[in-house]
Amino acid sequence: MIRRAACAAVLLLAAVARAEPPLQPAVEDGLPGRPGGTLRVLIASARETRLIPIFGYARLVAYRPDFTIVPDILLSIDVEADRVYTLHLRQGHKWSDGAPFTSEDFRYWWEDVALNPDLSPAGPPSELLRDGERPRVEILDEETVRYSWPGPMPGFLAMLAGPTPVVIYRPAHYLKPFHAKYADPERLAALVAAQHVRNWAVLHNRLDNPAAETNPDLPTLDPWVLKTRPPAERFEFERNPYYHRVDRAGVPLPYLDRIAALVADAKLIPAKTGAGEADLAARNLRFDNYTVLKAGEALHHYRVRLWQTAYGSQQALYPNLTCSDPAWRALFRDARFRRALSLGIDRHEINKALYFGLAVEGQNTMLPASPLYERGLRTDWAGYDPEAAGALLDAIGLRARSDDGIRLLPDGRRLQIVVEYAGQSGEESDLLELIRDSWRGIGVGLFAKPYQIAVLHNRLFAGETLMTIDRGLENGLATASMSPQALAPLRQEDWQWPRWGQYAETHGISGEAPDLAPARALLDLARGWTDAGSLEERASVWRRMLRIAADEVYTIGLVAGVPQPVVIADRLRNVPDQAVYNFDPGAYFGIYKPDRFWLAPD
Amino acid sequence: MLNYAIRRVLAMIPTLFAISIIVFAIIRLPPGDYLTTAIAELEAQGEGADPQKIAFLRQAYGLDQPAWRQYLDWAGGLLHGDLGYSFAYNLPVGAIIGDRLGLTVLVSAATILFTWAVAFPIGVYTATHRHRIGDYLFNLLGLIGLAVPNFLAALILLYAANAWFGLSIGGLMDDRFVGQDWSLAKLGSVMAHLCVPVIVIGMAGTAGLARRLRANLLDELDKPAVAAARAKGLSPLTVLIKYPLRAALNPFIADLGMLLPQIVSGSAIISVVLSLPTTGPLLLDALRSQDTQLAGSLLMFLAFLTVIGTLLSDLALAVLDPRIRLTGGADR
Repeated sequence: MIRRAACAAVLLLAAVARAEPPLQPAVEDGLPGRPGGTLRVLIASARETRLIPIFGYARLVAYRPDFTIVPDILLSIDVEADRVYTLHLRQGHKWSDGAPFTSEDFRYWWEDVALNPDLSPAGPPSELLRDGERPRVEILDEETVRYSWPGPMPGFLAMLAGPTPVVIYRPAHYLKPFHAKYADPERLAALVAAQHVRNWAVLHNRLDNPAAETNPDLPTLDPWVLKTRPPAERFEFERNPYYHRVDRAGVPLPYLDRIAALVADAKLIPAKTGAGEADLAARNLRFDNYTVLKAGEALHHYRVRLWQTAYGSQQALYPNLTCSDPAWRALFRDARFRRALSLGIDRHEINKALYFGLAVEGQNTMLPASPLYERGLRTDWAGYDPEAAGALLDAIGLRARSDDGIRLLPDGRRLQIVVEYAGQSGEESDLLELIRDSWRGIGVGLFAKPYQIAVLHNRLFAGETLMTIDRGLENGLATASMSPQALAPLRQEDWQWPRWGQYAETHGISGEAPDLAPARALLDLARGWTDAGSLEERASVWRRMLRIAADEVYTIGLVAGVPQPVVIADRLRNVPDQAVYNFDPGAYFGIYKPDRFWLAPD
Repeated sequence: MLNYAIRRVLAMIPTLFAISIIVFAIIRLPPGDYLTTAIAELEAQGEGADPQKIAFLRQAYGLDQPAWRQYLDWAGGLLHGDLGYSFAYNLPVGAIIGDRLGLTVLVSAATILFTWAVAFPIGVYTATHRHRIGDYLFNLLGLIGLAVPNFLAALILLYAANAWFGLSIGGLMDDRFVGQDWSLAKLGSVMAHLCVPVIVIGMAGTAGLARRLRANLLDELDKPAVAAARAKGLSPLTVLIKYPLRAALNPFIADLGMLLPQIVSGSAIISVVLSLPTTGPLLLDALRSQDTQLAGSLLMFLAFLTVIGTLLSDLALAVLDPRIRLTGGADR
């Protein structure tokens, strides 16, 4: 007994000696583990090293698995009326190179990076602006920073907690030698010349690329720090000894000493994973790999778990309301036509044929696990009812048919919708095949045409594409405190109305103003969400927006909740069996705290 | 002879210049540029890109400049031996290629050796034993080698190597050796992993080479010179090596020119299927993501090797085959 205690003490001492968390570290609840070990993961290209900081998920404030936001890197945060945010840092917190992490790093980013015309030609990130107005940033003392706006800015915390957050602090001590304001001009000029870059700003931004993970010298606050200098085929990340979290017993996290990310072709990743060559894998594994992965479970000592996904719809059809063809444009803008198309799809058949019946059928909206979910949102206009669909099409005046039963447009062309898509997985073409069969029953033709992704995007922006198929709503698990922007015509990447989105993004310089009343209502509501004074008010804005989206059927959802296979080595502990695999919010594994994952000895 | 060599070298300059323009134009043919492709890919994964960062990068990469300006920047750099900068890797092109060149040469050299070592004996055997059972057997094998799509063969062999010999799937070494210093264990792992790519890449080439050698030899075997040599009582092997084989080798020397670029480009599709750390997948990826300078410099490098290779093979032919004249007319 005494011996065991002594052993534990020695282990603990050893752990403390190699690590130096802040004086008031974040204490992680949950089952304790054992430090050490190397986690093997597979990435599809060297660019995917950026996934490791996403997995690591160290943020100023972070989502918990129930999607509430709590302080993480910050000791605490005071919020007054959603407009004044006071950030308190942890005393003694250090960067991965041992230099202190203080409010100076926040000041440096705001004054010398965001407001520097060379480094940020377009000014501070647009997310931080409220109606074009910049926040007031005050450095109160060494450990306190305040952001304030004249009006409510409810999305600020969600911005900081995102998988690719708005980073409002940078390692000033490391970057100042590359900044014209601080560096010795001659030395900086020599560095710029040696690196073959245009000016110091390019050099500074190249070294300081927290999202891309290409510079092993860049200090970070993440649990693991890049050690391999690119180019390489295998990237090692080593644990950050100054990381800010500890477990209940005071053992510094992360438990894993190293993450080794091996580059392998995306198409080989399911096979390599199935051969036991990764300790943790989900990305690049698809639902239809499930059986193959399951087959290797016992032989290669791993377990396959199915995690929930959060897309509003696994894939959804996007009728382009702003396409340039006047006849189609008029049809797509008619809510009856969109409803008829939705009623004409046999979702149950799709679910059975492609997803073993495991998915949820219905519109592209919230999932049942979201507090904003209502049954009607998913089921309205989403049952298979060819007669009702036919009646709607007749009512629009599309009665004339060609010899093969396909209806005719008023100008005599066949009612044949060309659906352009860019996916390479084959999922889109399988879905379109099934939809084509059921649409034929209501006299609508479908022709599927694949494009290279960048080409397709340009066609959509230009209004040449009639309809496309793509992922549904990014976050089907939203709560009222998350922004409902995705439902309103605000981005040109919303394929149901690219030119309206362009109009919003360019402040009216290009694109078209939305001219349908429900779409304008969505815009007003999205603005109302920002200005709302309380959470109840925001929830009611959300509900009204979801209702409009469901009634108008701007996007035609198919099935949602298709599970994501997650492969976990038997030795790897503390990984949940049941969880949600999502990018934002979620950071893939991030909200389940991979710093707590640990490898049991063989 | 020297005159001829100098003229050939001088002719390389306008050739390379023309190639550089074509290469640059073709890479830029698809709409958009590297950044639009990168943004589209990010969005397909559900990860947006910050428009302000994009604006900064467009400027930093010089993508806001007119095309001729971008061409001059790149081509001017090439003249100084600067291969340019890869947007996708955020690294100088030289650093990226250099790392992979060694392994590429290893794979290709092993493949060529394999091809020759197998194809030569088979070609000679089938020609000298025409219409015997061995000839038919090798013919059948050769046809299978030519006809099986090699990506399919790659997948099957990959599976077999993993299931039966426990080799890790894809790559050129076990995962734990990647990025480590060279050691005996690493060398062994590389050798074991070389088998699959070498067989797959070499398969079609071996079959083709054996069949060509057989056809060439058959043409030569009935020549009067061979009959005369045989009549003089020379041993069959000496006859074979002295007369028909020498003449049959001519096309192979002409092929040497294509060999150099092949060593570097490898076979891109197989390398992608097998996930080999060679230059083939790099080139394919660069073309797909419109990483202009990386793709352009790689293609120029290949073009340069092709031009050099043809030059070398022409010179070798001129030396080895007295029947080839260097200039028109009968001035000899």
